Amino acid sequence: MLVLRDLQKKYTRFRLGYLWTLLEPLGMSLVLWLVFSVLLGARALGLQPYLLFLSVAILPWWWFSTGIGAATRIWRRTGTQLRISTLPTQLWVLRAMLVSLVEFIFSLPVILLGVVLTGFLPSPWILLFPVAIVVQFFLMYGLSLLIASAAVVFPDVARLVRIVLRAMFYLSPVLYSVSNIPAGAQFLASFNPLVGVLGLYRVGWWPEEAATATGYGISLGLCLVIFVAGVLVFRKLEPRILKEV
Amino acid sequence: MSRVSIDPSLNAVVEFDNVTMRMPRRRRRRGSGRRQRLRRIAGEVRRDELQVLTDVSFSVQPGESVAVIGPKGPGRQALLRLAAGTLRPDEGTVRRSRRIVPMIEVARALQRMYTVRQNIYIVGGLLGMTREQVEDALPRIAEQAGVSNMLGRYMNAAPPSVRQKLAWSIAMSVEADAYAIDQTLVVGERSFRQQCWTHVDRLRENGATFILSSDSPKQFRRFCDRALYIVDGRLEADTTVPEALAAMRAARKEAREAGDSGSSEADEDGSP
Repeated sequence: MLVLRDLQKKYTRFRLGYLWTLLEPLGMSLVLWLVFSVLLGARALGLQPYLLFLSVAILPWWWFSTGIGAATRIWRRTGTQLRISTLPTQLWVLRAMLVSLVEFIFSLPVILLGVVLTGFLPSPWILLFPVAIVVQFFLMYGLSLLIASAAVVFPDVARLVRIVLRAMFYLSPVLYSVSNIPAGAQFLASFNPLVGVLGLYRVGWWPEEAATATGYGISLGLCLVIFVAGVLVFRKLEPRILKEV
Repeated sequence: MSRVSIDPSLNAVVEFDNVTMRMPRRRRRRGSGRRQRLRRIAGEVRRDELQVLTDVSFSVQPGESVAVIGPKGPGRQALLRLAAGTLRPDEGTVRRSRRIVPMIEVARALQRMYTVRQNIYIVGGLLGMTREQVEDALPRIAEQAGVSNMLGRYMNAAPPSVRQKLAWSIAMSVEADAYAIDQTLVVGERSFRQQCWTHVDRLRENGATFILSSDSPKQFRRFCDRALYIVDGRLEADTTVPEALAAMRAARKEAREAGDSGSSEADEDGSP
């Protein structure tokens, strides 16, 4: 309850620029679309219409990177509050993730805009879209529990995560489609949980994205593993976190 | 919903059983901290920790007011936080039979980018008040802290003294029957402090339990009927307030005579 209220409080501050929640991913989609589609004319990249193809993945990516970024800073921001509260410690991480989830949901009209602009309607597979949100949320919660506990032991994790996130952007099928990945690397790519998640988002428009079913199996399974690992590691390190914060 | 375990079958309010606690050492300078980190990576220093409590056992009965007395150091605060459950012991166990409100560095929890009113809700909520309780107490809190006219302004508009007063006012309006209070909360001008202590007195009459830590012996004499004398993390004595204060004075005197102003001397003399 408290956390929900906290979230509202927090969000009133963010909403000063609610429009930015829309504009930021929209701008990013546009820039990438211009670079990769118009300037480079890379027709082989991704699926058509490319603008929509991009924005469907950019939004979840944006959510992922801001959420994980927030997880690295979580104790710096909430440390003093954590010291006086007796709420379960995980709730602080959960709260940060909920904030980023809300932001993501508020940014969804961008995709709607993309659909309207391109006139490319989804198939019934679009029902997997909310499933993707749920899966990604669990993935992010687990991952941020891991990162938040690691950040306590090694303060350098924050910087490392930033680099890894940058790399993940190119390693994940945001700009391109899974089918662009060379056959040999496809199996490896499925060990990136984001491959599965982003696939779930896109399958509503491009059913062919669901082609590598076993690959999705692996990467979605990994989401689950990360979630469980996050919960366990966090529980183990909780006394340490309370101490250091 | 709470991370703090409560054991209602316990008779005492809180019971420490052979508690040992190590806390990370505060890093003084950034440069040295970074060097420490490098050395830690290199494997030279595994952890930069300080043992702040060693094998401490005691229990606090309902209605008691216990003073935690000793030379300056991180041990006292750790003890209070352990009692309230916002820290977990490295060794030993801490059990408590009820919620203990942690009034420890509350002022630091006030967030700059929220308004004063939002802060009252957040901090009050963190300390365990419901929304309705905060609503009821809001005018009183604001008046006591002298922020009635700036509820809608941002926290960073308030000077530090007001922040401290606000924190204390919020904490005081939490209804509970056990409190762990750290010295830093005792702030503000004379009349304000007087108000706070009157409030503490009233709570005490209603049977509330207090664990206090402060640098000012005067408060202890007035409010506490028992003292835990802690030197370098060891529980030296579990006595009355005057005795503990006398022991502290004696230790300090001896230390001065030995030509040392630190508390390390005092420990050698005090330990059996």
